[in-house]
Amino acid sequence: MTPDGGLSSTGSILAVAVGCAAASLWLLLPRGETGLRERAARRFGMLLGALALVLFVATGRRLGGVGEEVVFLIVALVAVIGGVATVVTRSPIYSAIWFALALAGVAGVLLVLGAQFLGVATIVVYAGAILVMFLFVLMLAQPTGMASYDRVSNEPLLSAVAGAVLLGLLTLFIGRLSAGPGECCAVPSRAAAMVGSKPPAPVAPEPPAEPAGGDPLAENHVARLGGELFGRHLLAVEAAGVLLLVALIGSIAIVSRTPPDERADAAAWRTGA
Amino acid sequence: MTPSPLVLNGLVVGAMLFALGLVGILARRNLIVMFLSAELMLQGVSVSLVSWSRHHGDWGGHVLVIFVLTVAACEAALALVFVLQAFARTGRLDAAAWQSLRESVLPRVVDRELPANDAAAMEFPRLTPAGVEPEHDPDAALEREHV
Repeated sequence: MTPDGGLSSTGSILAVAVGCAAASLWLLLPRGETGLRERAARRFGMLLGALALVLFVATGRRLGGVGEEVVFLIVALVAVIGGVATVVTRSPIYSAIWFALALAGVAGVLLVLGAQFLGVATIVVYAGAILVMFLFVLMLAQPTGMASYDRVSNEPLLSAVAGAVLLGLLTLFIGRLSAGPGECCAVPSRAAAMVGSKPPAPVAPEPPAEPAGGDPLAENHVARLGGELFGRHLLAVEAAGVLLLVALIGSIAIVSRTPPDERADAAAWRTGA
Repeated sequence: MTPSPLVLNGLVVGAMLFALGLVGILARRNLIVMFLSAELMLQGVSVSLVSWSRHHGDWGGHVLVIFVLTVAACEAALALVFVLQAFARTGRLDAAAWQSLRESVLPRVVDRELPANDAAAMEFPRLTPAGVEPEHDPDAALEREHV
């Protein structure tokens, strides 16, 4: 990517993509419409969303190999499309199931990024435990599917614009990261020149950039992760254990608290009065 | 050191998931869907953390994601308990059912009347009637057509 020309064209593509994403989310979010209007909005929103995704893919960086690129593209698309569907689906149960699909995509992205343990742990902990808990509560509380408040949104336009603006800013700054070390490394040297009369210390040679496709964490991954977790972060692990215990006790204490009149009823029922 | 293309793409995916979760939190009114959106934001953060971990060749991001998972489990347990308590009091999973807690300067959310959700809008294939009408099972009528 050239410093000025390429960056600005990438920036304009990104701006169009963010606009399409905002319009698509606004069209897809539930706005209390029915029938033909809703279906037309949904079709048009899907079209705009697909356009935004294509533009985002076009501005993405090429990876090393074709196979890696295709795999990353597929899992990232699964994650993002699952996320969109989680947010816009009317029925909360379908929303939870789309979230499971998004989790599968996220696990794939983590695997491609070299986090083998975390990819599997995401599936096991999230899709296997947390999501099932959500589904239990949904079935318990709202077994009839869609309610009236699932068919409307709070300020769909402003929310979609807020999300798209956040996404645009983040992608803009991520794009700046690849533009080169120009501005990010100029600041410390200038600060050092302002502070010190002594010349800036010779910069330590940078660690060699990651070899093409290689991951320094890949070798003996899980064992080294476990060593790090139970070595350097042992105290945090114990704190997390205490946190889990407190959450367990707290949730049991809160859920078993019944209003006073029901408690009286229950006592009366127990004593047979 | 410029991040590798894979790291940058991972960061973009993380940003997308985070922004989508933000939209869900802001727009949706079902408490459960709002929590699912919060989990989506956590997933975006996890992807970003792992990307940075790969960039620096350091375990910090991985360890942080493990703690994110732990805290998310605690949060889900407590949040679902609160949602159940809220549901027991109002009978709805609606965030607007608790709008008496809003700032006094904010206007009240008033639901407009929604037209009935026409189930007839779903198009099913029509088969040609053939044969003799079978015996009806009275229990089958009690089953729900869809969740």
